[in-house]
Amino acid sequence: MNWRAVRAIALKDVRAIGANLQVMLPMLVVPLVLGILMPGGLVWALLRFGESSGELDELLRLLERVPVGGLGDALTTFPDPSAQAVFLFANYLLAPFFLLIPLMASSTISADSFAGEKERGTLESLLYSPVTTGELFLGKVLAAFLPAVGLAWGTFLLTAVTVNAVAWPWLGRVFFPTPNWLPLMLLVIPLLSLATVFLNVFVSARVGTFQAAYQLGGVLVLPVLALVVGNIAGLLLFSSAVIALVGSGLAVADALMLLALRRFMDRARLFESQVG
Amino acid sequence: MAPTVITATGVSKRFGAKQAIDGLSLSVGEGEVVGLLGPNGSGKTTMVRLLNGVLRPDAGRVTVGGLDPLEAGEEVRRLTGVLTESARFYSHMTALENLRFFAELYGVDDPARPRRLLEEVGLAEDMHRKVGTFSTGMRRRLGFAKALLHEPRVLFLDEPTSGLDPDGTRAVLAEIRRLNETRGTTVLICSHLLRQLETVCHRYLFIDSGRLIEQGTLAELKARYQKAVLLEVETGLAPDGGEYHGHPFEVVEEGGRRLAFRLEDRSQVPGLLRRIVAEADVYGARVVEQGLEELYFAIREERLP
Repeated sequence: MNWRAVRAIALKDVRAIGANLQVMLPMLVVPLVLGILMPGGLVWALLRFGESSGELDELLRLLERVPVGGLGDALTTFPDPSAQAVFLFANYLLAPFFLLIPLMASSTISADSFAGEKERGTLESLLYSPVTTGELFLGKVLAAFLPAVGLAWGTFLLTAVTVNAVAWPWLGRVFFPTPNWLPLMLLVIPLLSLATVFLNVFVSARVGTFQAAYQLGGVLVLPVLALVVGNIAGLLLFSSAVIALVGSGLAVADALMLLALRRFMDRARLFESQVG
Repeated sequence: MAPTVITATGVSKRFGAKQAIDGLSLSVGEGEVVGLLGPNGSGKTTMVRLLNGVLRPDAGRVTVGGLDPLEAGEEVRRLTGVLTESARFYSHMTALENLRFFAELYGVDDPARPRRLLEEVGLAEDMHRKVGTFSTGMRRRLGFAKALLHEPRVLFLDEPTSGLDPDGTRAVLAEIRRLNETRGTTVLICSHLLRQLETVCHRYLFIDSGRLIEQGTLAELKARYQKAVLLEVETGLAPDGGEYHGHPFEVVEEGGRRLAFRLEDRSQVPGLLRRIVAEADVYGARVVEQGLEELYFAIREERLP
């Protein structure tokens, strides 16, 4: 493996993110809104104004009786319903939004990095160089995967600081994250990011431009997203074992896609289908 | 003859309904500068792609440096430097950033080489500008610099001077000659600009519809295709009709001051001149040398149905 070339390709693509506003903007705005402004704002509002919601109380009473994941026990350690609501919101309802961040990032970057190369006529220059298609592919996958996961982890850290800091005057303790976040961040998010990159390679191979890849990528990602978002909140209510199971499913999906992607590794076929 | 460095044996390649290359065989010796000539769509660029292993032939075999690019692609591509019109650069990156990137891909160890090459091709002032702002000629110079990055043994240059101004053209041609003479670089040039090729190529391959229709050095081609000698005479002679003592002629300049006689071979030149001098004043005479361009059309006329 020619690591020098892999590194050069990955670095070139990572630098290209900064040069393209269409790619850069969502990567800045989405984490800021979903990771900091929204959770910080909601935690603050719940604690400041949330005392008088009857429906919330009812929901919390119900959840206290849920016998899984120690949620009920955890809830009883909070003094009042609004503090319980904050705990519930931050630790359980926030998770789906965290999946959005790497999905969005890896989708945008890989659309630019794969379809963009073809669109700008630079793929031909790459294919004339003494770099194997495997090295080319690895460099490009890393350029989308690493920033996406990095962005998710970085935002997670900022969210943790934000919600704990905002809630500190009321709660006086660190309540976020719960241990369930660990497998989510370390397993599900990387595997999901990888799957998104692979999915975008298929999409980019079919379409001619970054715009088309970006949009079609969005269309393909949305159903997956809806499915995941719909279930993840519930998922976290259960145990780490369930999350690990979902992670294994994603790992299998990644492996299958990687196998299917091997047909793009034939240089001549790649050239004929993508450069023509 | 020098050992061959590029060979193609019975190569065919089809794209859909179009037979781009049709049973083509060729060979280029080590240290040769060879011109690949043919009209648009005759298969020149396809041949460059096949020789670099980015296309797979339907039939036949190619080798570069004794290696099959389909089996030892990376080794072959390390030997070759390629300039083609369709292989582009990253427009959001500067010229220097582009070359540094390709230097990494080609494993170039000298960190000063990208900068030095840019200076050599006349982009010293513009190396920190984004390639997106470059003119066609500047991109071509950059492409030429990229092809030379790793000091390749074999250069494939597809229209290396198109879009260049006269200075740029002369510099590129001089550099091709220099590389060939000092480093023994083998060069395959595809071009339409036949007059330019005459000054750098040792040998020519003529292709049409993916087939090799003729090949040879300029002298060999002249011997085969230069049928008539054209003698231009500046004279006061004003013969009637289109023939003068059995030699057909045309009036080149209005007023009958310059006549072009068509002779079967050079041995007829002295006799004809003596005859004219006996009848009229002669101010000058020269045998018009036929260049590659005339040969190109003569070859196509004779070889194509």
